[in-house]
Order: sequence, then C-alpha cells, then structure tokens
Amino acid sequence: MNSEKIFPIFLIVFASISLLIVTSIVISLIINSYPIFLRDGFSFIFKSVWNPVKEDYGILPALLGTLISSAIAISIAMPLAISLAIFSAEIAPTSIRGFINSVSDLMASLPSVIYGLWGLYVLAPILNQYIMTPLHQYLGFIPLFSTKPIPTNLFTAGVLLAIMITPFSSSIIREAYNAIPHHLKEAAYSLGMTRWEVIRTLLGYIKSAILAGAFLALGRAMGETVAVAMVVGNTFTLPRSLFDMGYTISSLIANQFPNAEAYSYMMPALYSGALVLFTIGLIINLAGLYWIRRVVTRG
Amino acid sequence: MRLNKRKIIDRLMLGIISALAIASAIPIFAIAVNVYSEGARYISLNFLIDLPPPPVGGGGGGIGPALVGTLVLVALALAIGGSIGFFTGLYLSEFSHTRLAQYTQMFLQVMVEFPTIIVGLFAYMILVAPLKRFNALAGAIALSIVIIPYIALNVREAYKSIPYTLKEAAFSLGVSAPIAYLRILLSAARRGVLTALLIGLAKAAGETAPLLLTILGTTFTYFGGLDQPINAIPLLIYNFALSPYEKWHQVAWGAAAVLLTIILVIFIVSRLIIKEVKV
Repeated sequence: MNSEKIFPIFLIVFASISLLIVTSIVISLIINSYPIFLRDGFSFIFKSVWNPVKEDYGILPALLGTLISSAIAISIAMPLAISLAIFSAEIAPTSIRGFINSVSDLMASLPSVIYGLWGLYVLAPILNQYIMTPLHQYLGFIPLFSTKPIPTNLFTAGVLLAIMITPFSSSIIREAYNAIPHHLKEAAYSLGMTRWEVIRTLLGYIKSAILAGAFLALGRAMGETVAVAMVVGNTFTLPRSLFDMGYTISSLIANQFPNAEAYSYMMPALYSGALVLFTIGLIINLAGLYWIRRVVTRG
Repeated sequence: MRLNKRKIIDRLMLGIISALAIASAIPIFAIAVNVYSEGARYISLNFLIDLPPPPVGGGGGGIGPALVGTLVLVALALAIGGSIGFFTGLYLSEFSHTRLAQYTQMFLQVMVEFPTIIVGLFAYMILVAPLKRFNALAGAIALSIVIIPYIALNVREAYKSIPYTLKEAAFSLGVSAPIAYLRILLSAARRGVLTALLIGLAKAAGETAPLLLTILGTTFTYFGGLDQPINAIPLLIYNFALSPYEKWHQVAWGAAAVLLTIILVIFIVSRLIIKEVKV
C-alpha cells in the first residue's frame, strides 16, 4: 500500500534531477560570465583581442571560427547525408541495406577524439596536398582561398566536422524516408515517373526531416570540441580566408582553460564564450526539434 | 526522344547519389585501417598495464594509468548516470501525460545536443573549484550528466514498447508498482534497457571534452583516490597526439586502437541484442 504512493514520488525525484541539472548549468554559465559582461557589456562578443596581461578579452575570432567551420561542415555534409539516406533506403540492394545502416550508425557513435587523431595525422596532410594547395595556387585570387594553407586550419576542421555529422544527419533523413506511406511511392511510380523523379518527389514530402537533420547536425558541429581543437590550428586572429588557422569557441575553451585560473577575467571570458555558444546552439537545436516534431505529427 | 532524356537524367542522378553515398562511408573504413595499421602493433598485455614511456628514450611503455582511469570513470558514470537515466526514462514512459514528463523530455532532448565541454565547465565549477584540485569525481559526474539523456530516452522507448496487455497482466497479479515495473516488466524491456546502458557505456568511454576540464590527466600515476587527478584513454590520446614527441604519438595510436576496439565490441554486442529482439 505504502510503496504504491512512494514509487511515483521516487520516480518524480529522478525525473526532476535532469531539469535541475539543465537549469543549474544555465545558471552557472550566467553567474560565471557575469563579471565580464558587467565590465565590458556585450562589446566583449564583438571584439577581437585576447590579451591576458592586460585582462582584455573579445571572442569574435572564435565565434567567426565556429560559424565558418560549421558552415563548411553543413554544406559538405548535407548532400552526402541526403545521398546516403536515399542510397540505403531506395537504391542499394536490400541485402546490404542493414550493413550500410550499421556502418553509418557506427560512424555516428565513434568517439570524436579518434576522428581528431585521424584528422590531424591523415586527413589534414591529404587535404593540404590535394585540395587546399591546388585551390590556393590556381584560385588564390579569390579571397576565400587567399591564405597559403598549412594542414591545420578552418577548412580542415570544417571537412572533418562534415565527416562526423553526415551519418547522424543521414539517419534522421533515412528514418523519415522509410516512414513515407507506401501507397504514395506506388502512386508516384504508377504515374510513369522514373526512379529519380520518384525520389525527388518523395524528398519534397520529407522536407521537414531534411531541415531537422540539417539543424541538429549544425548544432553538433558547433558544439564539437576535441576533434576541432586538434585540427583547427588554435590561433587567435580574425580569419581572412578559409585556409586561415583559427579557433572555435569550444576549442578556445579547451585550450585556454588551463591558463585561466591565473588571471581574474579569463575564466569569466571563457564562461561567457560558453554562454554564447549555448545560446546559439539552443536556438538551432530547438529549430531542429521543431522540424522533427512536424515530421512526427504529420506522419 | 523526350523519354530518352528523362532516362539519361535518371541514370545520371542515381549514379551521383550512389557515388556520394559511397564517398561518405569511405572515412570510417579509412579510420579503421589507419588506426589499426598504426596502432595495433603496439598493443600487448604490457601496453595495457605499463606506465607511458618517457618522451625520449626508454622502452615502449603503455597506457596502464589511462586504462585504469577509464574503467573507474566509466563504472562511476554508469552507476550514477545509469540509475538517474533509468528511473527518469521509466517515469517518462509511464507518466508521459504529466507536465513534468513533457518538460523533462524536452530538456533531455536539448541535453543530448549540449556541447559536452559546457558540461565540463559546470563540473569544474561545482567540484573542481571548491576542492581546488582536478579530481576523478568531477570527471565521473560530468560523464554521468553527458549520458543521462541517452539512457533516459532509450529506456523510455524500451518501456513504451511493452504491449499494453502485458502491462495490464503484470498489474493484475496484485503486486506493488515497484515489483511490477522493476521485476516483471523489466524482463520484458530488458533488451531495450541493456541497449540503453550500452549506448551510455560507449558514450562515457569515448567522451573527451568534459574530462579536459575536470580530471586534468596524470601521466605517470595510477588511481590515487576519487579526489585526485586521474587519466583516461580518450584524454591520453588527445594529450599525446598534440605533444611534440614522436614516441607519444605512437602511444596515442596504440591507445586509439584500444579505444576503437572497445567501441566496436560494445557496438556489435548492442546490435546482436537488437537483432535477437526482432526474431
């Protein structure tokens, strides 16, 4: 009799823990970044300076680095993710579809430090030799490619992120594609459409899933820390081209945190960087979740 | 003629899609090949238990402290994050109509996408700064927070997938709610719950970013207590890969091969569990 009443309360306590954790994380970010906002206001976000000796900080280069690397990542990843989803749901022989999905899921669950190690020692030199150096040589007059590339830079970070987020985004699209009612597909074929025309039509039907996949993957790319920190170059300058070494907000935190204790405003600066990252990420993820909900409610 | 043009476009587009799909899967095979060709040769029993080598000179060394650290951290994270995640998931499944459940579910979905470095900053504030020392407990708590949403959302699915008739049958036995949920229905949901825990396990074993800010990473000492710094395999890979010493790069590749093997084993086991449930 007693346990009947206690058990739900017991569960409620556990369910509240997650709410409590999220709330305290947000509060802790605000409290810890408060000093620098109090001193500098929001100008701190739009300044490009990292001078611990003068206690002068601005995170603009890192913010731009985050935006640039994740923009590169998402523009490479989306065509790949959509193709991978269609390939495993429509084109590949049925017998190997399970295998393809397993490989894709394995890629999504690989630790980012392994991607980082591989990115640093394998991907970065290859990209430098076969893609970045030729682009710089022949198209160097375009500002995007104007910096003489070295292997670790924003572009490498973007490509590595693209590899990391493709399977994740693809699995969202694949699930939506497989959930399309069968009679729609049959109707499309019965009109005499070719396979590609059917695919194109069905892709229009799952637009919201594709958007959800893009937004959630973008959120992941922005928040990724370790893999990016290993290949982005970790240099605090305003990026002028895709081939500049740079920083992202999360790699800035990872790199500068060990020094932060020694200064009075570096810790607040890093926490407010995290707050900015959290806010951008939250908006993007909520957008993604909104689109995914549209998929669910419509299907 | 018109039909022909459509056929050509059809072929062309299907070809492009297939090529892109195959291209997107190349990295995983490249990673596996590179990690094992660079790393597998260092792996031996001694590699798993020895101290890392000095940066220059000395023998091959190993990853003993990091392996011990990972085992300690993952066990703690699974105990803490696993139990919170499990009961949260059970609540979400069985009381899904309540407002608390709806909010919790939304917060968990946001938490899954949290940059994990932010979790590290949080753990630093509540456990490292007050103790004035990097410590294992802070790392374990950070990992727990990272895995809670994965476990909770998957446990929820597991309990949701139990047929309603089975739930009614369990309660019609006249047993109390805890026994119905934790003894009878758990056995119906056990594969889903196990998969949830394995996902959490893989996540905790591979996560690096929060550890940077919480456990620091010792190089030459094994476990010295929960209030002391500790190392972990992913953190060792990160630190050694970025070090200037060739010898430590080799250890990083060896450690990556160990970590990749751990992840592969967890992944294959969880696949087998899922397969079994379908039969």
